[in-house]
Amino acid sequence: MDKLLTLTALRRVVQLTAFVFFVYGAMIFTTFYTGDKLTQNLPALSCAYDQSGGDFCALIPLQHQMDHRVSTLFTQNAGAMEALMGTLITIGTVALLILILNKAFCGWLCPLGFFQETITMIGTKLGLTQLTSLSRETITKIRPIKWFIFLFLVLIFPLLTGIGFLGHEWGNPYCSICPSRIMTTAMTGDMSQVYISQANGGYFALSLIADLLFGLMIALALFVRQPFCRICPILPMQTLFKKIGLLRLVKNGSSSCESCGNCVKACPMDIYEIQDQAENRNITHSDCTLCGRCVEFCPHDGVMSFKYGPLTLYSSSKEGFKKRTKIDKWWKG
Amino acid sequence: MKKILFSLLVGVSLWGYGDGAIYWTPHGCDDGKATASKHGGHGKGESAMFALMNSEANASAYLILPDLSEQNLTFKRNTLMLPKPSMGGYYAIVAEGNTTNGVYSAIRYLSLQGRPAKVSPTLLTAISKSALEIIPDPLHREHDRYTASKSYHFLLHFQGKPLINTTVTFETHDTPAQTYTTDQTGAFSITLPNDFKNVKVGRSENKPSEFLLSTQHRDGERLYKSTLTMPYSLNPNDYWQSQTYGAGAIFIGFIGGLLVYRRTKKGAKNG
Repeated sequence: MDKLLTLTALRRVVQLTAFVFFVYGAMIFTTFYTGDKLTQNLPALSCAYDQSGGDFCALIPLQHQMDHRVSTLFTQNAGAMEALMGTLITIGTVALLILILNKAFCGWLCPLGFFQETITMIGTKLGLTQLTSLSRETITKIRPIKWFIFLFLVLIFPLLTGIGFLGHEWGNPYCSICPSRIMTTAMTGDMSQVYISQANGGYFALSLIADLLFGLMIALALFVRQPFCRICPILPMQTLFKKIGLLRLVKNGSSSCESCGNCVKACPMDIYEIQDQAENRNITHSDCTLCGRCVEFCPHDGVMSFKYGPLTLYSSSKEGFKKRTKIDKWWKG
Repeated sequence: MKKILFSLLVGVSLWGYGDGAIYWTPHGCDDGKATASKHGGHGKGESAMFALMNSEANASAYLILPDLSEQNLTFKRNTLMLPKPSMGGYYAIVAEGNTTNGVYSAIRYLSLQGRPAKVSPTLLTAISKSALEIIPDPLHREHDRYTASKSYHFLLHFQGKPLINTTVTFETHDTPAQTYTTDQTGAFSITLPNDFKNVKVGRSENKPSEFLLSTQHRDGERLYKSTLTMPYSLNPNDYWQSQTYGAGAIFIGFIGGLLVYRRTKKGAKNG
């Protein structure tokens, strides 16, 4: 049993539990109504369209606030407090959650992240050739996309809709293309979110992108690790507060780190910067999901570690590396 | 006068239903809409005025607020104007009337925007509002709406206890009365009909319709009658949204991903 006890095994248990709560929570707990949700501002892609969910992500209130509240600054000369209070509450709640768990919301709790990882596991078991790492060039091209999505689809387009420059379909455009909306609802047997809208050009384009993206994400996840996570707008939102997060990835590579690159190979987000030299420094990158694979696959004692405030929760070690490599070989056959 | 009569005919979407039981229906007159607009919290084009149909002279009404406090409402003939909502969440409008051998009640829920009351809507539906009561189990979620072609669950309670094997009548403006029977837990489900006429493309282009659930129960000499009315909207998937095309687009996306796989595999082989 001890042979299987790894950080990844623990993460899978947490992910599965979180998946059940965030996708089916209302069936188990009294969390059906919005007012009963855990936070209503989760920094992870748990979808509000899922009627059975236990909580939902912060992106839907952010888009609605931009559309219906922040826009009143320009359209109705509303007071700053009245227009911004909702957004400040959302951002404040997200900041508080990031303080507690930082980016682990992605690597440990996000239902869509778990869904993609499960598909990758299926792909591995089907014997599909896994694309272990994307090139630096590809990663450099992909990284700005999430910022574009966050700025335009979550903030700017909804705000312009509220002001009256764009049609109603741009009021929550991110939700309209989000794969989590389709995945979480489908998981509860509700297929109503799978559609192509012919209401107008905007609705048509958004619904088409959503469906194509969902299909593409599933196929890519069979051989690429976490394809959608790389462009997810939750990452930029978390990045705004990652410095205050108590949970963090720390590297102390001054003496033993030989820049072997194992950490980069292990990283599902292909963060090349992890292998850079660092002395007892917080290296939680904007793209990091705090999954901990880099810590597990680091062969040096104490070079990589998970810290929570002043406490070291988990550190890399020769023994841990050997065990993890053995399990990885067994899993991949 | 003409304007009032016209408003009554046009604005009231359920007229002459309920088999003699009292029931609530929105009053779509200009006054009601103007008041709703002035109050805030109501949806676009909604009315703050409601009419109690088939009402007796002794009917009384009150409002249950999201924080479960109560507020008496005053009729002007058979209509009343809701006060300005002081908080956001679900409200219940309850009407009660008595005759020598009968007890009548009508309930309607509405969701208004505003500062959250921090009280679960579960408590609002759970508290007893009348001796005989049709309870949504649950209500549609905030920001959602009752939608055609979808199924919803309800409970029937008499004096706070489930009423089993009892007939509940369902009717809408365009669907004739249908009956449902409660099960051993006092529950029943209905699928809202897709009975919208002259549908235009776009959700906001189509006004919601109304459904009415009514039931009665005799306890000794007394006959209890209760109704629940709620609005419901058309389902875009029945009209301008195609689920078949949606599934097709997902399939195309999936094939696209597999083509990427083929390319990367070929690239890997070629070194």
